[in-house]
Amino acid sequence: MKKPGLFLLALLAFAVRAGAEEKLRVSSFSTILTELAEQVGGDRVAVTGHVRAGIDPHEYEPKPGDLKVVGEAQVILLSAKHMEGYVGKLKESTGTKGVLVEVGDRFGSLKMTAEDDASKTVEDPHWWQSIANMEKAVEVVREAFSKAAPAEVPVFAANAAKYRARLEALKKWTRIELAKLPRDQRKLVTSHDAFQYFAEENGFEIYAIEGISSADQPSSKKVAGIIATIKKKGVKAIFPEKIENPKVLKEITRESGAQVGGELYADGLGEGEAATYEGMYRHNVSEIVKALK
Amino acid sequence: MRGSPLLRALLVFLAILALGWPLRRLTSASDAPREQPTAAVAVAKEIGLRLSFTLLPKSVKVLHLGQAVWIENAPTAEMQRALKLAYPAAGIDLQFQIEWPAGAPLAAMRATLTDPDGKAHEHSVWGQGSTEEVVTFP
Repeated sequence: MKKPGLFLLALLAFAVRAGAEEKLRVSSFSTILTELAEQVGGDRVAVTGHVRAGIDPHEYEPKPGDLKVVGEAQVILLSAKHMEGYVGKLKESTGTKGVLVEVGDRFGSLKMTAEDDASKTVEDPHWWQSIANMEKAVEVVREAFSKAAPAEVPVFAANAAKYRARLEALKKWTRIELAKLPRDQRKLVTSHDAFQYFAEENGFEIYAIEGISSADQPSSKKVAGIIATIKKKGVKAIFPEKIENPKVLKEITRESGAQVGGELYADGLGEGEAATYEGMYRHNVSEIVKALK
Repeated sequence: MRGSPLLRALLVFLAILALGWPLRRLTSASDAPREQPTAAVAVAKEIGLRLSFTLLPKSVKVLHLGQAVWIENAPTAEMQRALKLAYPAAGIDLQFQIEWPAGAPLAAMRATLTDPDGKAHEHSVWGQGSTEEVVTFP
């Protein structure tokens, strides 16, 4: 009686293992895309998020452990628009046969000033700050998953439709919240030029000011210029991402009268209420309305 | 200028002291924050708002900057009102809350806003049941 029991147990273990292996293996290099992949793929995908919440994707570099996982992935999701400077090395070193999906490159770009050369412009990589772009990204991921696992096409389509509906609700909520701000007061002063897509979608003007986040002391001429801009534009609040230069920030707020707004999530998901895309977006919108109202 | 060196030193000291106070005021920054900057605030001007419906709703509420500016609990198929609102060059957002009769088919509301310059701008809001939408004019 023991042998058939053992045989059944082994069979069950094999079935479970086979089931697990049937899941589409996905590697993601963006916290936003990790969530999106989980929403679209549901229980039919096994997603490895290489960039965790709170890690600056501009600074991230894959580790040997990441390369091993990527080598075995069937779909690799990248934020693109030059966010992942390591993409060439990633392809070369992993020898992956998986499909590399550069999500952000599937839709239009806004331009921003290059960090290393102010005379040059580069593609703004922060496309997820637009809900419309997120809706496009859902389609890109659904298509990629559907090609990689054709048997799961109906599941991916249903999951994508559900998530798009949630994004539509988020868009509507955002419009209602931002309607509390006069259109001529929608001016966003940030220390990190990451909200252009948000601004374009929601009728904001952006003034990115360097020198507040940086540990380098900006020149007094530059600080005076920032203060003059804030005064001239009647900006009520500024949103520094990291305050590494509190003296400069204090001088700017004291001289201009602008307040310091709450923390905004620019580069991806955070923790707590900002652990999901919807949570992150709601947090940013609420902080902006609170500070500029 | 002969006199006691002590007296002369005292006079110089007093002169420096007298100059020092205004100099300090001119060169040191005050810790008190300045007044919050204010953008050129758009002046409230009269605008016209006309609403027409394909199906009579139970109620309509119009909000501007989160405040109700028109509540209609017995709407008619076509109604009009003059509102005094700030109308900046960037335009305005009006939020419409419409309660259509339960079980009614998809219905529409046409909103025509006549701006302070007399120019008319039209937008439609479609919905069923409880509808809430923000419309940007122009």
